[in-house]
Amino acid sequence: MASQTPPNISLKIEFSGGLELLFSNQRSHKISIPSEVPKDNNTRLSPPDGSTKPADISYLVYYLRDHLLQERGELFEEDGTVRPGILVLVNDTDWELEGEGDYVLKDGDEIVFISTLHGG
Amino acid sequence: MSTSCGNPAVEEDALMMRKAKFDRSKQCVKCKERQGNIVIRHAVYCKPCFFPLIVARFRKTLEPVVNPKPDGPRKKGLKASGSLVIGFSGGVGSTVLLDLVAKSYFHAPSGDEENAKPRGGSAHPRNLTGKDSSIWKGIPAVCYIELSGVVPGSMDKIEEARKIVEKYSVQEGSFSFDFIPVRIEDAFNEAWWAELEGVDLSTAARSLGIDIADEFIPLSNLPSSSTATSTPLEALQNYLSSLPTQTAKESAIQTLTRMLLLYTAASRNASHLLLGTSLTTLSINLISGISQGSGFSVNEEAYEEWTHQPRSLGAESGGVPSKVRIVRPLRDVGSKECGFWMWWCHLNAVGKKRLASGKQSIVSLARDFIMGLEQDFPSTVSTIARTCAKVTPKQKSDTTCILCERPAQHDAQEWKARISIRSYCDEAFKDSGHPLPPHLNEFPQGKEIAHNGSSLLATKLCYACHTTFTSRSSRGNMTGKGGDHSISNVIPLPTWTLTTVESEILASRKLDRKDMRKQIQDFILDE
Amino acid sequence: MPPKPCALCLKSRAMIKRPKTGQQICRDCFYYVFETEVHNTITEAKLFKPGDKVAIGASGGKDSTVLAYVMKTLNERYQYGLELFLLSIDEGITGYRDDSLETVKRNQQQYDMPLKILSYDELYGWTMDAIVSRIGRKNNCTFCGVFRRQALDRGAAMLNVDHIVTGHNADDIAETVLMNIMRGDIARLGRCTSICTEGEDTIRRSKPFKYAYEKEIVMYAYFKKLDYFSTECIYSPDAYRGHARAFLKDLEAARPSAIIDIIHSGEAFEVKEEIKATQKVQQTCQRCGYMSSNTLCKACTLLEGLERGMANAGITDRGTKQLLQVQQSEVTAPENLRTIPFFNKPFAASGSVDSPIIIESTS
Repeated sequence: MASQTPPNISLKIEFSGGLELLFSNQRSHKISIPSEVPKDNNTRLSPPDGSTKPADISYLVYYLRDHLLQERGELFEEDGTVRPGILVLVNDTDWELEGEGDYVLKDGDEIVFISTLHGG
Repeated sequence: MSTSCGNPAVEEDALMMRKAKFDRSKQCVKCKERQGNIVIRHAVYCKPCFFPLIVARFRKTLEPVVNPKPDGPRKKGLKASGSLVIGFSGGVGSTVLLDLVAKSYFHAPSGDEENAKPRGGSAHPRNLTGKDSSIWKGIPAVCYIELSGVVPGSMDKIEEARKIVEKYSVQEGSFSFDFIPVRIEDAFNEAWWAELEGVDLSTAARSLGIDIADEFIPLSNLPSSSTATSTPLEALQNYLSSLPTQTAKESAIQTLTRMLLLYTAASRNASHLLLGTSLTTLSINLISGISQGSGFSVNEEAYEEWTHQPRSLGAESGGVPSKVRIVRPLRDVGSKECGFWMWWCHLNAVGKKRLASGKQSIVSLARDFIMGLEQDFPSTVSTIARTCAKVTPKQKSDTTCILCERPAQHDAQEWKARISIRSYCDEAFKDSGHPLPPHLNEFPQGKEIAHNGSSLLATKLCYACHTTFTSRSSRGNMTGKGGDHSISNVIPLPTWTLTTVESEILASRKLDRKDMRKQIQDFILDE
Repeated sequence: MPPKPCALCLKSRAMIKRPKTGQQICRDCFYYVFETEVHNTITEAKLFKPGDKVAIGASGGKDSTVLAYVMKTLNERYQYGLELFLLSIDEGITGYRDDSLETVKRNQQQYDMPLKILSYDELYGWTMDAIVSRIGRKNNCTFCGVFRRQALDRGAAMLNVDHIVTGHNADDIAETVLMNIMRGDIARLGRCTSICTEGEDTIRRSKPFKYAYEKEIVMYAYFKKLDYFSTECIYSPDAYRGHARAFLKDLEAARPSAIIDIIHSGEAFEVKEEIKATQKVQQTCQRCGYMSSNTLCKACTLLEGLERGMANAGITDRGTKQLLQVQQSEVTAPENLRTIPFFNKPFAASGSVDSPIIIESTS
């Protein structure tokens, strides 16, 4: 693995709707992740060996679960995506308009996770 | 036969096609100019068009039921017959509801004017001044029910909730919501009840509870150890831990919360109690309710009118019954839209722990099921609500459930006995004249259930509340004592139920006096 | 721990934890309450009158095998005075239906009831094997369901019976209630909890197991050692069972009464009058005389689609539209299209003089 380390990208992550409780009760986080990540979303391998892909939201979900989450991962991640009832915004826009988990992250993106599980 | 392929759904051609999340274009369907920011049930909207859309749905649900009588063809002004109470849980729905009510009907400044106000044509300026606060009488109130008493490891969030509500006060002191914190254990708090309703429970009523180990749920005296000394919180915990299933526990908390809000609303002469039930939550409540046997009150999940019977027993007049309308103005707005509103208007929900029950309770199963469904089939959630709006109870209700105070069917007990035979000893079975089981020479003489008809609660409960008390889990005993059938299990009752029980006993005594007077009236001289 | 006495007879030793009530009861009491509850269902709904001829839809599976056994038992115990028949539909699925029909043939001997077998091949000119080889496995269950329903009625007409009973159990009905709410199928929601359905031109059809739990049916068959066929249809993969059934099973696990509670809910409401008025009126199919909500019934639409190689007709709106366009473009239908023979309701069952006039089928 003599190749140069891929550059990192900086992201602003926000949690709302009670989701912050899972992330040390802090709403706003600044993180930096590799721009190239393992295809299988393994967040522990660094630098990645094997096949890679550009960092996308699917990877970010795993990354947040493995590195930022304080407790009860099942309340955030389920079957490789966010748990039903959690909304995701990419730069103020519904992630469903941006390809959901396949959205490729860019430096400076703001990603917001909002829980609607605390209903009425 | 038709079940032969093991897949009965086939006959109903159960094909649920998964559609694309949005219809091709990313352009806003409303202005047809800007790029969209949110997908709502396959339709794309931009941020500026989103706000008026939500405001319009909110008003369209609420405003037709503001005036005591519905408007004729010509729209008149809004004028309610009483005051306004908003139920506030700190969750996403009620946070958005509070914001919408404040911005639509009361002058509501906000920390971040630019972003917080709905843009576009939604907010007619005349409706954003204090003028329209005269729709409701008196000062509008926000009632917060604190659940920390029943959620292990959770913290009291009353002050956090208060701060959120206070944000809507106008600095100059011209407007603010009254903030009313109520604790869930107040359902068992005599002092709270006495203050609210102006009635003291009698000593006799205070010692009364119900035996839920018996299908008929007889009234019974509480063990002396658990009366005088117990605090409201202990009584509540005793009540909840004795219930036979996790489902019962969660649905009991929902019922208690609803009743606390209703009695609080009545105490403020409210004509309207607004709840932050979103379309998603409504669908969850509908499926959860139907799965617990409350199909009879399926309409009440979306909109209901509750009649408050004043309880002051002392005064002969008793006061006039009043009506509170429970309106869910967000019932056409999905939880997704609520989440976006919250984020774009810089609102914060009160972060809270909730009961973690996973697959053990129908309430949480329904929640997970609907949330998952909403993700895969975004229109199913609104279909559920629309379908349920098209049905109506088969029979007229002739009674009200003594616990949830919703309309009830009188023959629920009979139905249960016929569908599931639980005893060879009860009257219903004996009267039906069934032949003996082949292995018996006679029916067992077992403990003949000698119930005094008037003191059985089963006949005064709706099907769902009766099921809550008596239906058991398949996993054997819960942590509580509810599992064992043979041991009597007497648990306390909420204050309003006790008062109803008490007043019915008292009423029957009054009737006795009337009867007596009738018999002797010829011998009484006119005063 | 000493053995627990049965919660019902208080005498024998409890051997079963009853799925429906959670009570611990003995085997004999289980048989007795299971049968008595079915009897209650039958008498409460006044399903039969003495002398009725009743066909039991028999697939050889657990539900219909137990149904045949219990119907025979109750008919004798309570002297219903019914004449019972077994009616089987042969969908033409090699390795599945041919084997299960063997079971039904044994049931015929064991229960001493006349048996009628009607095949898809005979009625529609297509076996399910042929349909699957034509259209693949995607919508084959829709074909099978629609074809089976009509085949049952036609078989019953051939037997000249008044009534068909099917093995639909409480789980099936609860699932259907949930399903219809989720799909917004108001018409079906209104009728799915009724124990007996009778269209104008169809034979009375009812579900004596409406309140019987699937688990208890299996338990009954197991302890009574009834001879039934338990293989799943090879064309109905498990994955297809979908959301509603899995959800229902979760609900039952959380609180077993949920199944019966859902049915109670479904029975408590009905479709509002003003909504009913907007619903499609039932008519009879122009081609085969079977009840239909359109001029052409679902079975005829599906069959014509098969014949013309337009397998999406009757499955998707677009497919149906395409079929309609083709039909309209033709002056006369092609000669070689197979159609379903015209349906005649048996005289005895209709009870009315104006039963449908026999018209020659189009082919």
